[in-house]
Amino acid sequence: MAAVSGWWDDFFWGSLVVVELFFVALIMTVLFGLIGAGAKLSNSRVAKSIASGYTIVFRGTPEILVLLLFYFGSAIILTAIAQIFDPEIKFVDFPPFWAGSFAIALIIGSYATETFRGAFLGVDPGQIEAARALGLSNLQTFIYVRIPAMWRLALPPFGNHMLSLVKDTALVAIIGLEETLFVAEQAIAYTAKPFTMYIVVGAIYLGFSTIITLTVMGLERYANRHLEVWR
Amino acid sequence: MSFDFELILDSIPKMLVGIGLTFELLFLSLALGTALGIFLLILRISGRWYLAAPTMVYIYIFRGTPILVQIFIIYYGLPQLEFVRDSIFWPILKEPFGCAIVALSLNTGAYLSEIFRGGVLGVDRGLTEAAAALGISVRQRFIYITSPIAIRLCLPAYSNDVVSLMKSTALASTITLLDMMGIARTIVAETYAPYEVFISVMVIYLVITWAIQRTFAWIEKRMSRHVRREA
Repeated sequence: MAAVSGWWDDFFWGSLVVVELFFVALIMTVLFGLIGAGAKLSNSRVAKSIASGYTIVFRGTPEILVLLLFYFGSAIILTAIAQIFDPEIKFVDFPPFWAGSFAIALIIGSYATETFRGAFLGVDPGQIEAARALGLSNLQTFIYVRIPAMWRLALPPFGNHMLSLVKDTALVAIIGLEETLFVAEQAIAYTAKPFTMYIVVGAIYLGFSTIITLTVMGLERYANRHLEVWR
Repeated sequence: MSFDFELILDSIPKMLVGIGLTFELLFLSLALGTALGIFLLILRISGRWYLAAPTMVYIYIFRGTPILVQIFIIYYGLPQLEFVRDSIFWPILKEPFGCAIVALSLNTGAYLSEIFRGGVLGVDRGLTEAAAALGISVRQRFIYITSPIAIRLCLPAYSNDVVSLMKSTALASTITLLDMMGIARTIVAETYAPYEVFISVMVIYLVITWAIQRTFAWIEKRMSRHVRREA
């Protein structure tokens, strides 16, 4: 453990990058999930087939492939655009942070699409009819009735998606983002202690997973707080 | 920027050379992981805390850390430890292929044991009670009563796990293995055509995912043929 002592601050900053990446990707994941679920539940055949194409592709291909495709793919487009203005430019890339969070959010978003779709379908139609009868508008029904009833059903699987999300952030080190795994690689180049450094990375991720698990447990209790009387 | 179809036709046969390695990784680690999963399950439901507690710790660690970090710990990390280099496992652990198999099996074993546990817990208690009343021993109850039903119950989750294991095999390319993903990355490094190459390999992965899902759908249908109600 003595070898790690000079690297704690680097690991701390690396962990902070993981946290940032997690939250940025989480927001996008929820967004993609809701859009996907909305499209799958809509009456439009085009929207439905686009959404099912999305879930099939992103749930069926390796995460690292999607990530590399997005990073190098966007770099090629950006370089081509930049060369229009200045032919001297050789390589422009999308920042790994944004390419990475976007790619991860698209992947986990495809899982969230299915979760949200199922949860929306699980809401008792009687509640929606009751909201209509009370004169609530479509938007009000969505915000005050559908969402609260739906997220109770969606939380347990969504907690698992959050765990996959935080674990997928490790992949972004492959495209050169300075997160914990990247820090470990630098530390190994300096100290030649790969086991120690990677165990530290593992411990950091285990900590994140634990925090997420506990948070989801708390959220589940909060979401079901008014059901506890008769349960 | 243009889409080079010749390159696609050129690179697909090259990538298909790696499909053998992808399948080897998948089937070997699936077999080992399933065995490990069953072993962990038996420890977990043994009712003895000194067997169940270490199992839970194991599952917690392997499900709480990214598979990429696990692969790195085993491939880059373990050689740091002298007793590993002196042990009988060294011939396996010094090869990237052996490390990938070990990492994937250990990881998927943790997930599978949870899936199996879900299946076992889903078996109607009345059945095992009835068997107990008939004087059938614990071991026989597990083999002849619980297992057939539990297997049927956990097949859908098992098939999802096979797909995610297949996706994880792509990470073997990070430890120099030339599976499909590894070959695709080599071609991209040579040609710098990420769209053509990565999208082609994406299609191959999608076909494999589809084949896995169809196979399990067929097995599921067969296994529950006497459960389905007549229409």
